[in-house]
Amino acid sequence: MKFIPRQPTSNVNVTKTSAMWEFLVLAGGLLAIILVFYLTLGFAVEMLIPHLSPGIEQAMAVNLLPQIVDGETDETKSRKLQPLLDHLQEHCAKLPYHCIIKVSVSPQVNAIALPGGTIIVFTGLLDKLTSENELAFVLGHEMGHFVHRDHLRALGRGLVFMAISTILLGPHNQVTSMVSRFVNLTELNFSRRQETAADHFSLDVLHCTYGHVEGALTFFEKLTAVKPSHDNTVSFFSSHPLYPKRVHDLKAYCRKHGFTSGNLTPLAE
Amino acid sequence: MGDLTVFLVLLVLGYAAGTWAEKCHYRSIMEREEQFLHLPVITIKKVELDDSKVERAVLVVGSVVISVDYFKRMLAGLCNIFGGTIKSYETLLDRARREALLRMKEKAHGASMILNVRIETSTIGKRAFRGKLGSIEAIAYGTAIKMKS
Repeated sequence: MKFIPRQPTSNVNVTKTSAMWEFLVLAGGLLAIILVFYLTLGFAVEMLIPHLSPGIEQAMAVNLLPQIVDGETDETKSRKLQPLLDHLQEHCAKLPYHCIIKVSVSPQVNAIALPGGTIIVFTGLLDKLTSENELAFVLGHEMGHFVHRDHLRALGRGLVFMAISTILLGPHNQVTSMVSRFVNLTELNFSRRQETAADHFSLDVLHCTYGHVEGALTFFEKLTAVKPSHDNTVSFFSSHPLYPKRVHDLKAYCRKHGFTSGNLTPLAE
Repeated sequence: MGDLTVFLVLLVLGYAAGTWAEKCHYRSIMEREEQFLHLPVITIKKVELDDSKVERAVLVVGSVVISVDYFKRMLAGLCNIFGGTIKSYETLLDRARREALLRMKEKAHGASMILNVRIETSTIGKRAFRGKLGSIEAIAYGTAIKMKS
């Protein structure tokens, strides 16, 4: 038998396939898995929130607090305002935990409800307030977020990791502190529905405390008059967007429940 | 956003340039393989030969280094997640082995056969030290036998 050299007709070492098609299938599959995971996390947040006890919430807050109050806090002002908050909470706003007010020295016109029952009020906002009623409205609004647990929802999907790691590993652990670094609390976003619900709660608190709701609308009018400056200090609008329907909604709520105007209580010096 | 643009540009560039280079290389490989078809390349060490007819026996070596393109690397990275055969590297190794054999054959100019042929591959480049594939080298060597005319 004579050997006749010839080229093989096919190459078994190379699979005949389209590399681009393979890439699209694999990348698409990976994206789909990530998307499913992301959506599942979203549902997990809603499922988790009713089961989070105030204790766990406070343990999680340990990692969040230093991020916000990184600047100076005005202890004297905080102590002066605490009795008002205590009074509101004791008589008109039942919450599962004791709220603490912290006044942070910053030009921001903003107030933030933090997990664990801490309300941060920036001096920029305090300077704009002229009556106790307006301050009570702001505090009532933030307490409204606590009641509806919006402050936990606003932490987003990172909440699932934070809650699980806090439950398993305790308040001071690396996972929680790592995730909390990605949570930007000054730009928390609440939905319109959440804002409206918090406004309604705040109006109820105002009415229960003073017998009228004077101050709530003047507060909004005052904030609208403040022009956003170059350093974007009027951030109450970015974290609590002020849309035209909001004031209209407040008025409608007052009419429906027969809330009336009254005399403003001056701010305690 | 900037990172994503760089990634996409590299991906498209890798795909276009890589596919073009591969096509050209395969065309060249096929032509030269046809050219060297008459030269037997075998892996056995000994053949029945009359020693007096052998003019000389020398070591011939052919080697080549081929780099993986960005697209192939990304595709292999995806395969690393899901498992399965890494088809994008198959052509790379196939080209390297065949090119090394061809270069070895070119080296054995005038020989009647090449015995005891071995092929080895290794990864080189900075990435190879981190357990990733950078470039691959294929080296083919054997003993070229030239018979007396």
